[in-house]
Amino acid sequence: MEVKITEKDNVMIAALAGRLDTAVSQEVATALQPLIDNADKTLVLDCKDLAYISSSGLRIFLTIRKAAAAKGGKVIVRDITPEIRQVFMMTGFLNLFEIQES
Amino acid sequence: MAKRELDSVTRKTARQGLLIVIVAVITLEATAVLQYFYSRHILSEEATRRAEGQLAATELHIANVVDQVETAVHNSIWSVQQQINRPDSLAAITVRLVGNNPVICGSTVALVEKDLSPYSYEQGGEILTSSLATEEYDYKHQEWFVKPLELRGGYWSEPYYDEGGGNMLMTTYSIPVTDKKGRVAAVFTADVSLDWLTELVGSVQVYPSAFSMVVSRSGQIMVCPAETLVMRHTVHDLAASSSDSSTFNSINRSMLSGHAGNTTFKYEGKVHYMFFDSVERTGWAMSIVIPHNEIYGNIERLGKIVSVLMLLGIAMIILILYHTIKNQHNLNQIEENKHKMEGELKVARGIQMSMIPKIFPPYPERGDVDMFAAVVPAKEVGGDLYDFYIRDEKLFFCIGDVSGKGVPASLVMAVSRSLFRTVSAHEMSPQRIVTAMNDSMSDMNESNMFVTFFCGVLDLQNGHLRYCNAGHNAPVLVQESGNKELTVVPNLPLGIMPGMYFTEQETDLECGTGLFLYTDGLNEAENPVHELFGDARMMKTLKAGVESRVLIDTVREAVHTFADGAPQSDDLTMLYIRFMNSMKSEEMERHLILHNDIQQIPQLAEFVEAVADLAHLDVGLTMSLNLALEEAVSNVIMYAYPKGSDGLVELEAIIRKDSMQFILSDNGTPFDPTAAPEADITLDVEDRPIGGLGIFLVRNIMDEVKYTRSDDGKNILSMIKKLN
Repeated sequence: MEVKITEKDNVMIAALAGRLDTAVSQEVATALQPLIDNADKTLVLDCKDLAYISSSGLRIFLTIRKAAAAKGGKVIVRDITPEIRQVFMMTGFLNLFEIQES
Repeated sequence: MAKRELDSVTRKTARQGLLIVIVAVITLEATAVLQYFYSRHILSEEATRRAEGQLAATELHIANVVDQVETAVHNSIWSVQQQINRPDSLAAITVRLVGNNPVICGSTVALVEKDLSPYSYEQGGEILTSSLATEEYDYKHQEWFVKPLELRGGYWSEPYYDEGGGNMLMTTYSIPVTDKKGRVAAVFTADVSLDWLTELVGSVQVYPSAFSMVVSRSGQIMVCPAETLVMRHTVHDLAASSSDSSTFNSINRSMLSGHAGNTTFKYEGKVHYMFFDSVERTGWAMSIVIPHNEIYGNIERLGKIVSVLMLLGIAMIILILYHTIKNQHNLNQIEENKHKMEGELKVARGIQMSMIPKIFPPYPERGDVDMFAAVVPAKEVGGDLYDFYIRDEKLFFCIGDVSGKGVPASLVMAVSRSLFRTVSAHEMSPQRIVTAMNDSMSDMNESNMFVTFFCGVLDLQNGHLRYCNAGHNAPVLVQESGNKELTVVPNLPLGIMPGMYFTEQETDLECGTGLFLYTDGLNEAENPVHELFGDARMMKTLKAGVESRVLIDTVREAVHTFADGAPQSDDLTMLYIRFMNSMKSEEMERHLILHNDIQQIPQLAEFVEAVADLAHLDVGLTMSLNLALEEAVSNVIMYAYPKGSDGLVELEAIIRKDSMQFILSDNGTPFDPTAAPEADITLDVEDRPIGGLGIFLVRNIMDEVKYTRSDDGKNILSMIKKLN
């Protein structure tokens, strides 16, 4: 599991690659802390290379989403795979996040 | 019986030993006594010889002096006869006699008819002459004058002290002299000093404390070491003053009888030996007294020392004998213990053999399994084991080899076998069985013995085999397409260390495939030139398609032929299982066992992908299943067991034609995940709780979720996903 954060024009982009399962969720949560600290900006979660997400991963997404809502920022989930989209649908996350296709 | 026999051996040895001691004692004692008496005899002879020799020598000396005196006197008699009527000339004769003979210190010619007696004597180197014819002396009544006249011959007087002549012990030889007409006219005398006698006898020293005595014919003591007795007492006085006067009187009588002899007497409680002899002509008697101690003291001291040494020697012999007998006894006991031990070993082997299934075929009523086993025991009891039984249509089986041999190995074998039965009674997973056995055996393993072990669970309905190896030889899959070793992760043997992780493996057996399990007594069997039977020979001997009994017999025969009489060093155990169910169901099973460690989640993902592959599922469904199972499993990993404690999570996947079932079980605290409230996914971001998604996903992805708490304390979560 890899997390890479870049910032450009006041937009913070976090590129996630690999499997976000329970074993690595703690580690990923720590890596994504900058996004929560900058929740007033536009945050992009790039899921092009995210192969799998567990409920603990979804929890991290939700935490970021809640922070943005509180600070007036915006969260965009970009390029999710059909499988993850299915999970998002199942869990109602499609309604909580702005999903973008690049 | 053996004990009595051995005891009698000990008694026999003791008797023989005692006999040796007695013979030794008698021999030693007889030798010592003989030697003692012989030595005594020699000493006695020696003492007699010495005493008699000394007596003879002294007497010879006295006789010499007596002869000298008598000869000198006799030679002068003629002169006296010639001059008898010329009294003036007589003095010249006596002067000459004294002057010519140093032994003679005085001489007189005393006339019978007249009162005339000129006396010559030596004094201070000069010879003086006086007359004895004085009124106060009255020589005609003196002994020296009267006796010769009476006897008409020479006479030696009783010894006397010459008080006038310088306190000398004296004796006088007197002889009557006749005139020309043959009438006794005078008595001619010669005085002899006996000082030389005192000196001579005093110098006689046959033994340091022996002493000599000379007594006159009347018993007067002449020479004696006690000078106060000399000339003042007679031996009769001494006898009278003694407490045992009769003995001394008889001694005196024999001594004074004029014969030689010897006798013994007791004086002051001590035995003395006395040798005596008479001195010719004078009538004196000389005796030598030797104290008993003087003769026999040394031999008696020696005798005592020898006795003590002998006693010591005997004591030593007895001691040695005692120890020998004791050793013999100990040896007997060792022998006895050996007998006992051998008996017990026989019993141990009997018990051991009774623990393993021996009735073949074990399941004659079943058509789905054909099995046979054999143990070819080595000389000693060994530690091989095998066991099997059927529960819930599953065949539980195991084979093992305990390190070492003898009773310890057989005890560990018995423990292993009991543990296998106990643990497998409520476990389906070979991995769990092996882990539990290892933990329990490592805990109590103080003798550092270990067991190589292979445990399998064969589902007789579908040929699915789950197995776990613990350092044992890989079993052989015997099949028509060719024999091959079953793939096994080696793992460590049981009993090395608690908490070890053992890998479980699984495979599916085709109908007709056999599984051949064995201990290293087979491939390590040796022939007389120490070649091993080896894996290659074993593989060649194993033939598919034959009955289990035939296969085992063939292998046994092959090993026997190969060994060619070489002694078998290790037990040889074989177990052959042929799966024969041709009607096996289409069901497939896979198992996964994880520790309660969240880092094991990736293994779960691999497992789910493998199962999804078997069921030909698409990527989406695979991920959904993965998601649901990860939620369920991670929930157990994180919450079922108290923090820091070790626990296992088992997941069983059953693939059927139209569905998949996942059974998740753990031994943790009771928890029903299905009782959690349903998450509301319609809420806004602000109102959505962070948690609660896990069980929601499980419920949504799976078609049926059911929680049960089993009787043996397990949380069991069954999840079914319908296919198509």
